[in-house]
Formats: sequence, structure tokens, C-alpha cells
Amino acid sequence: MGGTVASAAGILIGSGLLGFRRKEEMEGASIVIKKVDLMAEVKKYRKIDSHAHFGLAGATNLSNLNYADRLGIDRLVISKPMAPGSKGLPEEFRACNDAIISAVKQYPDRFFGQLTLNPTYRTESFEEIKRCVDHGFTGMKLYNHVKINSPLFYPIIEKFIDLKMIILMHSPIGKARIKYNPREPLNISIPEDFVDIAKRYPEAMFQFAHTAGGIDWEDACKALQHSPNVYVDLSGSNNIANMVEFALRYIGEDRLLFGCDSSFYQGVGHLISAKMTEAQRKKIFFENYNNILRKIGKHVD
Amino acid sequence: MLIDSNAYIGHWPFLQLKYNNFPALSERMEEFGTDISLVSSLNGIFYKNTQFANEELYGEIRSKRAYQDRFIPFAVINPIYNGWQGDFETSITKLGMKGIRLHPIYHGYELDNPACIELVKMTRDRGLPIALSLRMVDTRPSSWLDVEKEWSLASVMPIIRAVPDAKFMILNLANSVVLDEKDTSLLRKSNVIMDTSGRNVLDLGGLLKTYGTEKFCFGTHSPVLDYCTGLLRIESLRNDEADENTKDMLRAGNLRRFLGM
Repeated sequence: MGGTVASAAGILIGSGLLGFRRKEEMEGASIVIKKVDLMAEVKKYRKIDSHAHFGLAGATNLSNLNYADRLGIDRLVISKPMAPGSKGLPEEFRACNDAIISAVKQYPDRFFGQLTLNPTYRTESFEEIKRCVDHGFTGMKLYNHVKINSPLFYPIIEKFIDLKMIILMHSPIGKARIKYNPREPLNISIPEDFVDIAKRYPEAMFQFAHTAGGIDWEDACKALQHSPNVYVDLSGSNNIANMVEFALRYIGEDRLLFGCDSSFYQGVGHLISAKMTEAQRKKIFFENYNNILRKIGKHVD
Repeated sequence: MLIDSNAYIGHWPFLQLKYNNFPALSERMEEFGTDISLVSSLNGIFYKNTQFANEELYGEIRSKRAYQDRFIPFAVINPIYNGWQGDFETSITKLGMKGIRLHPIYHGYELDNPACIELVKMTRDRGLPIALSLRMVDTRPSSWLDVEKEWSLASVMPIIRAVPDAKFMILNLANSVVLDEKDTSLLRKSNVIMDTSGRNVLDLGGLLKTYGTEKFCFGTHSPVLDYCTGLLRIESLRNDEADENTKDMLRAGNLRRFLGM
């Protein structure tokens, strides 16, 4: 934590409360514990949630904003991915994007929209990029229908280089037992795929999704350490201690992004808990993503 | 006052932990304003003879006077390992343990095992709590040598049904917290307290309504999980979800009452 959050109201303990000690052992053992105003610490950081969703696990605009307001999250980058195992037809990705268009229209000061598509349908995908960019979208979120380093994606990635927009790609769970979780489809993008495509397109910006989403995060960070155009978001439900510090060591403070992926408490909590400098925390919570948005003039003042 | 109901010292074989000894844990407690932590030994999960872990914990607590004020130790007991009755007795009467921790998934028994029920009854008879964690780590990214099983809240109901007058701590609510009507009613009536560290404490305000405000308390599951998130779930409650008095009960009051402090 930042380290300057102590306020008044210290509490004396040492009254033999725990029943271990003899009376003569207790002399001089009192400790003053300072009460901490955690919410003041949380709210002093501006925040852009780089990985948010509409429609997943019942998430609505209002539920997202409820968590965001509670935890001092200024903006959320939202998308609606196509359903797992779906065919990823054009009508499906258009419907997902319609939901985001509507959300951004309703809350333009809170949401940044990300489109989704399926590069198997090239013409329809390009039409969708144009439609969504015209609606002010700022990036793209992809799921597991096609691998990120598939040649099908090459023209899409080239388009996004021109647009100067980031490409957020889902990542798998598992690797606990050497291999990825058996429920993952063949086309899931693994860290090595990100390394491959980032090398092919060094001008592109990629975002590796959710280190806390159930993947072997140590393995993933080590794979991505030498890919300077891959940002890594720290979202997900697995708020295991030291993940953030580990990511700082291997990915560095300029490529890490705050995110929740609907796990709002963990997303904020593990960043507040992590040992880092004030400047690093500001970068990760806000500045790094804001600099990505700055490239297209959509940054937050 | 702030009391962490769910902390550990010791090692995890598949992951480097920090803040897993008393000096480091004390530092974290001071950073976040935690006065007291209930603590057990992670080593007790992995030692076949869990009593060595309990003795280590006792030795650590005795090593510095301040630790005796700040840490409440719980013994890890394995009721399917010979000598457990003696370990229990020694832990309670000589090592100052104020409750027990069970790890059935790691120690290889079910909660309806007769020996487990016997241990829970013995603990009940001493007026002490029995602590259970729905999982220790997220099994998805853990090691190929780790267990694959995790519990939901419903998984612990058999032991509450078997010994309904015992005191239970249910920790790290990582998976479903939904119970059927009958079990919801039983849980509400039972002497049960649950901590705020688990990922499925998505809507603490709603859980307070469902199970009762007295049923929850602050917990970190540290050093396995980050130190802050369990506290954030309490501190970010809105006034219409929990007033300041209720928050104080969640920070420490409920646990003090539960433990008879």
C-alpha cells in the first residue's frame, strides 16, 4: 500500500486478550495499531478498467457502474464477446457490438467501447470495424474463435495499426498440469501466440488478457517479457498474492494495465496490496491505458 | 479494531510466498491496521505428521512477546492419522491453540468420516471453533502435483448437519455460496462465521441479508491471497448495505463474539 494512509484512532492491544501470557510477561508489551482509511487510499488513484464486459455473468451497465462508483473507477473499457463455442457468425458479432454501441451512447463519460469480430468473415469484419469506429470505439476485444497469430487476422491487425488502436485478446486457463485446461478450444491464443504475432507486427498494440483469469501467470509473464508491444492486463478473479510484483519484474511498469474482468474487488485490491512505488501504481491504474487512448486523441484529461 | 480471521505462516510447495512468517505478516498487519490475526501453519497441510507444524507455530509465537498479543493460533489436526487425539489434546492444553483447522481435501478424507465427526465433537465440547477453507489456492494455475478438488459452500454442510451445535469458520468462499432453502435455514441457525477473502463474495451486502450480518467477518487468506481484497469488500459497503456499526462488527465484533474474546 502507499504507506501514508494512517490516520488517528490508534488502538491499544496487549491486555492479555489472547490468554497466553503470565501477568509478569505482559509489561511493556502494548502495541499501537493505527487505523487505516482504506477507501481514501483506494479513491486517491484515478482508474481505467482496461478489461470490462457487458452481458457476461449478468453484468449490466448499471451493475458495472455500481462497482465502478464504489471503487473509484473513472472509466471502463467494455466489450461483449461472442459466446464460447458459438460459430461466430456476422450476425452474432454485430449483435454483440450493438449492445456496446448502446452502452457507450448511454454513458459516454464512463465507457469506452471495444468491438468484436470474426476474421473468418473478412468483408463483414471490415464493415463492422468501420461501423464501430464511426460510433467512437477505441479498440477490439477478441475471444477464442480464431488464434491471434492466424493469417486470417493479418489484414485486421494491419487495419488496427492504421487506426492506432489496441487489440485485446482472451487467454486460456490452466497449465496446472503441463497442458491447458481440457475445456479450452484448439483456437485459444496461448502466450506463445502473442509473442509470435507481436514479433510479426511490432507496430501493433496487443493486450494479453487477465493474468488473474486462471492461467499460469508466472509462465505467461515469462513468455511475454521480451514482447514490448504486448500490454498485460492484471484482471481476473485469482488475486493470488505477489502476482502484481511478479508481473512488474518481468513485464515492467509501462506495459501493465489495471483491469477487473468483472472481478472488481480483486482488480483493485491486489493493486493496492502490491508493493510498488506511488508512480508505478498511478501508471498501472490509469496512465498506461490513458497513453494508449492518447494515440487516438480519446484520452481522459 | 480489526481482526483477520484467516491468515497463515509457512510454505506452499508450488509457489514462492512472501509475508509468510511472523515478522513479515506483522508488517502487513500494521500497513492495513490489523490488530490481531488468527493464524495456522501451511506446513500442517503438507507434513504427514501435522503436529510438527503446530509445534513450529507455537515456537514462533513464543519467540517474541509481541506475537503473543497479535496472533491467535489454530492447530491443524488430521483425524485419519494415528495419534490425532493426543495431538488435539496437546495443542489445546499445552500449545495454546484456540481452535482447529481441518484440510480434508489435502489429507484425504470426507467431512462425514466418523473420525472427523468425532474430532469436531471433541472440539465442540471444548467450546472451540473448527475452521474449513473452501479451497487453498485456485486449482486452475496451480501445480500438476496439487489437488484438483475445490469445495462450494454446500460441500461443508454435511459436517454442520452432523454436529449442528459446533462452532464453524468457513473461509475463502471461492465457489458457489448458494444453498437450498433447508441448508440456508440451517446455516442461519448455526454458530457459523464466514470470512470475506473468497472470490465469490461478490455481493457482500446481499450475503449479509441472506445469512445475517453476524455471520461474516474480515479475512485475508494471506499470504496466499493479496492482503487488501477481503478488507475492501467491507470498507466499500454502502451505508444502505452496512452502517458503521455493522462494519465494526464485520471488522472485529462478530469474530470477538464468536471466539468469546
